[in-house]
Amino acid sequence: MDEKQTELKKIIMDTKTLPTLPSVITKLNSLSDNDKSSVQEMARIVSSDQVLSARILRLANSPSYGFYRVSTISKAMILLGVNVVKSLAISSSIFEVMEKNSVGLWEHSLGTGVVSNLIARKLGLPESEEIATAGLLHDIGKVIINLKCSEAECEVRRIVDEKKIYMREAEHEIIGTDHAEVGGWLAKNWFLPDKLAEPINCHHNVEASENHRIKTSVVHIADVLIKASGFGDSGDSYVPPIQQAAWDALKLNEQIIAEFVEDMEEKLVEVKNFSLELQQSCVAPPS
Amino acid sequence: MQKIPLMTARAGMILARDIFRSEFAIGMPICGKDTELTDTLIARLENLKVQSVYVEGHPVREEGDRGLDDILRDLDSRFIKVRQDPLTAKLHDIFTDYLKRSMGEFGGRKTD
Repeated sequence: MDEKQTELKKIIMDTKTLPTLPSVITKLNSLSDNDKSSVQEMARIVSSDQVLSARILRLANSPSYGFYRVSTISKAMILLGVNVVKSLAISSSIFEVMEKNSVGLWEHSLGTGVVSNLIARKLGLPESEEIATAGLLHDIGKVIINLKCSEAECEVRRIVDEKKIYMREAEHEIIGTDHAEVGGWLAKNWFLPDKLAEPINCHHNVEASENHRIKTSVVHIADVLIKASGFGDSGDSYVPPIQQAAWDALKLNEQIIAEFVEDMEEKLVEVKNFSLELQQSCVAPPS
Repeated sequence: MQKIPLMTARAGMILARDIFRSEFAIGMPICGKDTELTDTLIARLENLKVQSVYVEGHPVREEGDRGLDDILRDLDSRFIKVRQDPLTAKLHDIFTDYLKRSMGEFGGRKTD
């Protein structure tokens, strides 16, 4: 790694300049570590921050989870689990940036969340809400790179166009690391549970995933499927290869993949609607 | 028949399937097929949190006004790096099949 790369990596991985965590999350963390605390108690803490609650509910009502009309934080905690609500709370600042500045990446993330959930349910995997959340969050590294080093990000995009390579390869060339690693690092720094951090970190390298290979495989396959369908914009338009390790871990076959494709394309119509609604509400807030 | 996001539905389109309320296990019917959409009806569906509807014909072209050939060409260019990879090549064939089936019925612009 040359000097410039080291320098850029240092800027990106500097914890001091991370988007800050609302104090609510710190309280929530200490409560969720305590076995005796109730869902109601935790919901009350989150509800005390109205802006945060609104953002969480908007994500909880996204097609990624498939429940519409989750109207209160305590309902969200019961339906989606404390872990998921906590992760949405932690990452809501990232999503705000994404919705405003990169609709393409937002649609790609939302789509990957939806397809992760679809795959998890179809294969009957446990904790499908957590898998959906990992899908939703898998590219947060890209937002961080953009936030902290927008010049490097422009350079990455230029190289993607010029050399026609994957965004990940371009990131390695410029920064000496990639969005998966940055995302995984961020997830650890924010104390997201390992079952979310590992799929984020390893979604381009399933074999490196040791403890949560099934979840990582789902997110990897969902990412490939969404890129294949051309939905959203993740930075480059090339479908990455399906990794054998993921194919084996989920025991996939052609028949199952064909069913995924069919279900996904149906579902993406709804995702598009959700994203259009959001964009419209950003342009003209309801009076 | 085409499934479209409700946000792209316009007055004058004809419903091709009944609409049900989705939040109940057995959805309550809201609106029958063959109904012509009006602005008021679309607003009501929005209030009822309906996300998508099936309409007659193929009125909405999401990616510009393009036929099957263009869409398949785009698909090929997305898969350009992985055509030699056996697993991903299978996915390419599955997608090609799917697009031909779902678009072929209407032959791109033929229904216009």
